[in-house]
Amino acid sequence: MAAEMMSSRRFFYVKPRSMLIVLLLLTAILAAAPSWLSAGTLRQISEFLFVFAMAESWNLLAGFVGLISLGHQGFVGIGAYSLFMIANASGISPHFAMLFALVISALAAAAIAPFLFRLRDAYFSIAIWVVAEIARTATAKSHWLGSSIGVVLEATRHMDRTWLAIGIYWWAVGIGIGSIALLFLLVRSRLGLALMAVRDNDLTAASVGIDVGRARFIAFVLSGALCGIAGAGYSMLSYHIDPNGAYDGNWVVVMLFITIIGGIGTIEGPIIGTAIYFGLREEMGDIGNWYLILMGSVAVIAMIAMRRGIWGTLTRKFAFELFSVRRLPPL
Amino acid sequence: MTVLQTIINGLFLGALYGLFGLGLAFAFGIMRIVNVAQGEFMVLATYIGLMLMPWLPVHPLVLIIPVALIAFGFGYAVQGSILNRVLDKDPMPSLLITFGISIVLRNLMVQVWSADFRSINIGKLKFMGFDVLGLRIGLLPLVIFGTVILLFVALYLLMTQTRFGRLIRATADDYETIQFFGVDYRRVYCVAMGISAALSAAAGMLIAMRSAFNPFSGVDRLLISFEVVIIGGLGSLWGMIVGGMVLGVAQLVSLQYDPNAGLMYAHIVFFLILMVMPSGISAWRRR
Repeated sequence: MAAEMMSSRRFFYVKPRSMLIVLLLLTAILAAAPSWLSAGTLRQISEFLFVFAMAESWNLLAGFVGLISLGHQGFVGIGAYSLFMIANASGISPHFAMLFALVISALAAAAIAPFLFRLRDAYFSIAIWVVAEIARTATAKSHWLGSSIGVVLEATRHMDRTWLAIGIYWWAVGIGIGSIALLFLLVRSRLGLALMAVRDNDLTAASVGIDVGRARFIAFVLSGALCGIAGAGYSMLSYHIDPNGAYDGNWVVVMLFITIIGGIGTIEGPIIGTAIYFGLREEMGDIGNWYLILMGSVAVIAMIAMRRGIWGTLTRKFAFELFSVRRLPPL
Repeated sequence: MTVLQTIINGLFLGALYGLFGLGLAFAFGIMRIVNVAQGEFMVLATYIGLMLMPWLPVHPLVLIIPVALIAFGFGYAVQGSILNRVLDKDPMPSLLITFGISIVLRNLMVQVWSADFRSINIGKLKFMGFDVLGLRIGLLPLVIFGTVILLFVALYLLMTQTRFGRLIRATADDYETIQFFGVDYRRVYCVAMGISAALSAAAGMLIAMRSAFNPFSGVDRLLISFEVVIIGGLGSLWGMIVGGMVLGVAQLVSLQYDPNAGLMYAHIVFFLILMVMPSGISAWRRR
């Protein structure tokens, strides 16, 4: 079914409905995977999918709305802390508390958006970094939030570790695949068209009747919520969080690297980017921060020499798209 | 009385924060580039200063001059070799590139000098001071304040009184027209980034005389610079000092009541200002 192509002059792309069916099949296969994969492999896949979803949340803003966030680690931290605090305080299953992480991150995004949107371009980017710093320092100072030592996920103490890991894995599959579906559906929707118009030229977009502020707001809240729940899921993998880890500025470095190297503004790009990131980390993980230095250099070089990233360059060269965001004119 | 003394110290520190902002605003005003690596420029310059110290047996205050010259060359090279390649109307590439540079510099500095805290030893000056109307004024903050004002005045004179300053301002206004007069705007950009880096280097040296730093201090420095620029308003040299003083006072006064809060309250004050006076801030325009 995926092979069913449509052509618009030179460009080939797969029918959107076919891609959604592919996604459903992929979800079904991944969801059944615990019956034959080892616990270690499941954990690696979970990690991969959570980081991938964070990168997609960053890509949603940078690639489709034109907002560069240098403070997305704030959402990772807020998502993680919401999950841990709510699960510990109420005794509900952490798997259920994931939903609260989603809601609280969305609310946090909605609360700070009005301030941040007063600033443009790079000033927006740094202002959200300031917010993340405030959140980190405030968390580290709060006794209730475990100060700088952090919090342990106590709710998992009496749970079966095997089933807990499988539950986290299922969340990872849902969030990872869900992030692709979210971006795909969003970008192809009416709102998605509005977002890309805002990204390309906000004044022109406003002049054709697009509510620029509303479009940006919705995208920002969606991005924050996705990043928050992915961060919560990632933190559940280790049952412990602390402010410097959860609000680590290197989260943004990872998201940015994955998106830029894969292809900013493409849905498929971050899949490649995440694979490269984990490959690099595997290879260079034990030699300190050299992989950060390498990631920074690669991002700089890519922005100069290959701005479309790997996937963007490939689609140009071979005129082929999987999750196409273009629309065909009626014949 | 201690509150008054803290406020005065905050004003001195704030003027230095104004110099932080000046480096950032200067580059933005001319090239429309927000240099996210500015904090790392400052910290790197300080490490270079520390390395020069055994070779140049002069007072650290004098050492600022060679360090600023090296920083000028560094800024010039970064602009010429990297940033001049991405001078389009889209602000995204230059933002991401300077962010990438900041990551590389920060982690290279950790690799070379480790994450240990260092500071510039200024000898007896640190403990000297005098009493005015019952208030103890430290000599070092006063000297730093004087140096900052000197740099502001020097830049002001350079920009308004010299032929070179006119050239820079003309390039900032219209880099296309200036080419009809035989000016290579790319070289002007290199010089401008060099000046920005030299100002940042001076600021980095001065703050390191007051407090310890490590390679991760660059982030705090960038955030302060940014807040100073937003509060002070672009295009206003003296607005930078006012913006810096607001943050300096906020930081030192809050530390009196909550010693381990770091810059948190300064950041919060920044957001409060952003909330109550958006009109002074919404004037930012794209190129």
